[in-house]
Amino acid sequence: MLSKVRLGVVAELLNYDWVAFSELARVLHVSNGNLGAHLSKLVDAEYVEEEKSFVNRRPLTRYRLTKKGRDAFAAHVSQLASLLKEAT
Amino acid sequence: MERIDAAQARDHIEMVDRILAESHPRLCAGGDFFVVWGVASAYITVLFHLVDIGMFAARALWSVPIVLAAAALYSVLRARSLNRRIARTSLVQREFFNVLWLTLGVTFVANVAAFRIFTGIAQAALWSIAEAIVLLYIAMHGNRRAQIAGVLVVVSLVAANFVAPDRTAYVLAAGMLAGYAGFGISELLAAE
Repeated sequence: MLSKVRLGVVAELLNYDWVAFSELARVLHVSNGNLGAHLSKLVDAEYVEEEKSFVNRRPLTRYRLTKKGRDAFAAHVSQLASLLKEAT
Repeated sequence: MERIDAAQARDHIEMVDRILAESHPRLCAGGDFFVVWGVASAYITVLFHLVDIGMFAARALWSVPIVLAAAALYSVLRARSLNRRIARTSLVQREFFNVLWLTLGVTFVANVAAFRIFTGIAQAALWSIAEAIVLLYIAMHGNRRAQIAGVLVVVSLVAANFVAPDRTAYVLAAGMLAGYAGFGISELLAAE
């Protein structure tokens, strides 16, 4: 999760049940290709769950944070905070 | 762990703080559900009363399961459709639906299976209580219209307790329409 984009994705998913790919791209201000690559890594790590469906014949891909992802986020933020504390 | 420096760590934490601060999961009540169930419950309440006083034949009560089934089917189909269209569904939203289905489900079971305990107009009052719970739950998450609507339903319950018996059903139905369905209409208007 070290990448800033991946961290941003997980933070966005924290308070929501499902978030659409397009919504993530919009709020994080990243290109679809870039976001897709980061989401693939998160899905492979089982931090994020992916769901693909169709709405009005248009593909819809949504993402949800898993418990593993939630725990990893908490651990990562804690490590970042420790790093900051050591530096000051 | 790959190394990042303190400046990057600070930047990452600030980004997380900003995202979480801007995240305002809103409880979307879906006005049409409330209109459908408010009208359905008011209809059933008044119908039972009119059959009870002999104004309608008992066979008119066959419309009750049809109305309930139609309302339930609409709710399920509409919920599925909405769930897929919404760009974000919050955890609060998911909990709200759990509360909603639990409250309405238990009330339905009490209506159908505890008819010897909840007799006559008490059956209708059960729906008023369920509706008040749902509205006040939404109100707890900051929806002022739901607060007013919930209070309206509760007031109708209290008022129904004290009016003449031949008016009780109408007062309860008025609470269901003004409170539950009325809240639904206000949500639909606010969404436009």
